[in-house]
Amino acid sequence: MSAEPSAAYARPRRPLFRKYFLALFVAVVVPLLASGASEAWFGYRDEQANISQRLRTEAAAAAGKIQAFLDNIRDQLEWTVQLPWSEGSDERHRYDVLRLLRQVPAIVEIVLVDGKDIERLHASRTDPDIVNSGIDHADDPAYLGARASGIWYGPVTLHKGSEPYMTMAVAGSREIAGVTIATINLKLIWDVITAIHVGKAGDAFALDREGHLVAHPDISLLLRGDDDAAVAALRRLQQASVASGNEAVTGEDAEHRTVLAAMARIAGPGWTAFVEQPREEALAPLRQALWRTGVLVLLGTLFAAILALLLARRMSGPIRLLEQGAARIGAGQFDHPIRITTGDELERLAARFNQMAGELALSQERSERIARLKRFLSPQVAELVEQAGQDDLLDGHRAEVVVLFCDLRGFTAFSAVAAPEEIMGVLGDYYEALGAIIVRYEATLTSFSGDGLMLLLNAPVRCPDNPAERAVRMAVDMQTAVQALIVGWRRRGHQVGFGVGLARGEATVGRIGYEGRLDYTAIGSVTNLASRLCAAAEDRQILIDEVAAASVCGTIALEPLGTRLLKGFDEAVPVFAVGNKITAGNEEGLSATAQE
Amino acid sequence: MTIRRSTAIATALAAAMLAAGAPANAQTKVYHVGLLSPGPPGLGLLGPELIQDFVRRGYVPDKTIVFEPKAAQGKIGQLPALVDELVAGHVDVIITSSYPAAIAAKEHAGSIPIVVAQSGDPVATHLVDSLAKPGGNITGVSEIAAELSGKRLQLLKEAVPAIHSVAVLWNADDLGMTLRYRAAEEIAPKLGMVIVPLGVHAPDDFDMAFSEMTKSPPDAILMVTDVLTNLNRKRVIEFAASHHMPTMFEYDSLAHDGGLMAYGPNVSDIYDRAAGLADRILHGAKPADLPLELPTRFQFAVNLKTAKALGITISESTQLRADDVIE
Repeated sequence: MSAEPSAAYARPRRPLFRKYFLALFVAVVVPLLASGASEAWFGYRDEQANISQRLRTEAAAAAGKIQAFLDNIRDQLEWTVQLPWSEGSDERHRYDVLRLLRQVPAIVEIVLVDGKDIERLHASRTDPDIVNSGIDHADDPAYLGARASGIWYGPVTLHKGSEPYMTMAVAGSREIAGVTIATINLKLIWDVITAIHVGKAGDAFALDREGHLVAHPDISLLLRGDDDAAVAALRRLQQASVASGNEAVTGEDAEHRTVLAAMARIAGPGWTAFVEQPREEALAPLRQALWRTGVLVLLGTLFAAILALLLARRMSGPIRLLEQGAARIGAGQFDHPIRITTGDELERLAARFNQMAGELALSQERSERIARLKRFLSPQVAELVEQAGQDDLLDGHRAEVVVLFCDLRGFTAFSAVAAPEEIMGVLGDYYEALGAIIVRYEATLTSFSGDGLMLLLNAPVRCPDNPAERAVRMAVDMQTAVQALIVGWRRRGHQVGFGVGLARGEATVGRIGYEGRLDYTAIGSVTNLASRLCAAAEDRQILIDEVAAASVCGTIALEPLGTRLLKGFDEAVPVFAVGNKITAGNEEGLSATAQE
Repeated sequence: MTIRRSTAIATALAAAMLAAGAPANAQTKVYHVGLLSPGPPGLGLLGPELIQDFVRRGYVPDKTIVFEPKAAQGKIGQLPALVDELVAGHVDVIITSSYPAAIAAKEHAGSIPIVVAQSGDPVATHLVDSLAKPGGNITGVSEIAAELSGKRLQLLKEAVPAIHSVAVLWNADDLGMTLRYRAAEEIAPKLGMVIVPLGVHAPDDFDMAFSEMTKSPPDAILMVTDVLTNLNRKRVIEFAASHHMPTMFEYDSLAHDGGLMAYGPNVSDIYDRAAGLADRILHGAKPADLPLELPTRFQFAVNLKTAKALGITISESTQLRADDVIE
């Protein structure tokens, strides 16, 4: 067997298993990935919006706390502008201020200006107080600002180039109550700002209108002055935040952390409060959600792979079984039914295969039997025996048969001198001619050896007509055919002739031989008689016995030759020769016989 | 409030520490902190207060932090040698009290970070370039004590309006203290007062000062408080009491000891901030990046018992100002 087909059977170019597996896997995984990706994307956006919203809320809360700190100072300052300036009120005003200095540690300095723009009292924590300095505050922006809108927040200044101070002025509701101008140490907001925590590591800070740092948990940052790099980083956060329309922004903070920051305005002084949270921490829930989705998708994919594997195996398994089954059937093994119990079309297909295998087995058995029968039966008879399904036809029994012998005269002498090719050539032509006739007359060939043949009629299958007549007609045809050949042989110098003998009678018929080599034969005196008659027949002569002669009397011309003593028979046996007056069809052969 | 604040500081520091890439187990490292005071051991900077300030920041004495206190016991000349001892002990930071200790550390500690406290105005004494950007390896808590001299004179006058001449006692060997005296000298005329300068160098000098004051008694005494004067506070208070002189001190503890009044920054605050700065340095911050801090809270204490003993009436406004009225 060549390598190509075996390779094709061994491994399909694109195995069904792989196709099914990929198709099933893709069918599950693609929607899974699509849903996972969309969930991750929308979750990411939602969570980002959430984080931004949360930080903005925190920023607003921080702004509120810083505003509350300033509002508290304002409320305290307002006590000092309740009392109108009048004769003898100086002392009361002074007491208000002293009480205020004790209560509000953030105030480092306080100036009272009366309703006529004149400074009446300057009190400080560090310097001697100055009473009635007489300084005119008519052009003081703090005074004018407070007069205009009740409260005024000054710019942030750096005391000694370090500590951030802010001036705050409050005016009384009546002009005569004057204006109080206070200097606030913004370091004191520290208590407020350090109390603000955003998540674990997040905090808050505040910048003023000009970008000075006014509040930060790291007090050192607050004291470093204006040109500090860390403060510049915070200003960049502010710019980014403004540019993004107050959304939370990502940037670097004073400690070089990457943070998410959001801002909120502190309305009073016009400052901006910020909250910041390390991005790592702020985005942790987001990362967790993504991680979760990832794991789910992975599990889903794994599940899909297992499912696809199982399904693909269920699909391709039976098909492989069918393939193996077909291969066995091809190899002629019909006794291994394909077992598939999937309950579907494949099971039906397997059933068809099994059925086919059964039929093939039967058919093969039958054809084998026919081949066997054909060895001694003519094809027609063999078919008949086979179709009848009656093996017992071949069993031994007694039957009325016609036995016919024929052989070549002078063949022994010829074969002694002739070359083997010549002998085999002569025999080949001889059997070819006889074989056709034997088949035509549906005779049973029991044996042949060399140039001699033994034929049976009426066994194992009964002739529909007169077996003797059929035998005689066959004999005539045989004589005619062989004589035609003999003409040619003689021309080549081979001196051979052909004689036939037949007899009718009871004989035991059946198979003889051994397993693997069985012949069908007839045993009885009728066989002996036919054999002797053949031996007695001359070239061109057909000798028949009395019983056969009686059977064909009237349909075929016979010539009684009287009785003859034959070997093996105690008494002389009446012998008849087939004459020349048989039928028109056999004229040539009969006339040839008549010439003898 | 302090606990909340220290938690906040710890949080801020933890964040700063992480940002600086310091190892997470930094707390397992044992830090060595040198404490340098010209005074006696166990007092002021060398007292228990500063150690508590570190404990509140999460340190465990002798486990995560080891203090090495060095006390000059009034012998200022020994300070450089004490600094050398700290350098030899490889301390991570030195905290100093007083100007002489600060300058000794600055001159002898090499590159070891120094946190100064109670040393006057470090800018005026040229310990650092500026408050916002100290520059070298020194940071700390500055004092506005020099300015406060005028405020103290005013408070004296407000309490006892008759006061005209004020004797100022100060350690003339300490530049920071001398600056405070000068500030008083400068502002006195504006307040209609005269200053009698009584600079001291050693404990023995006090007797001279007392005899001086006995000879021509001033209306009041202003004592510039440093280790030297503080060690002799009892004598000063006794002298003032026996001579019916109102006294003004710088720290409220001296009013509690029997002085009439005291006005100055809150000392506990100063130590707490000094500890805070040292803590930042231990966690990797550079002193040059840590601005000096000014005191924010001031304490005015009035001892009415002393006033009664002196036979003077403290004005209503003075009592109103007082954060601490001792009765």
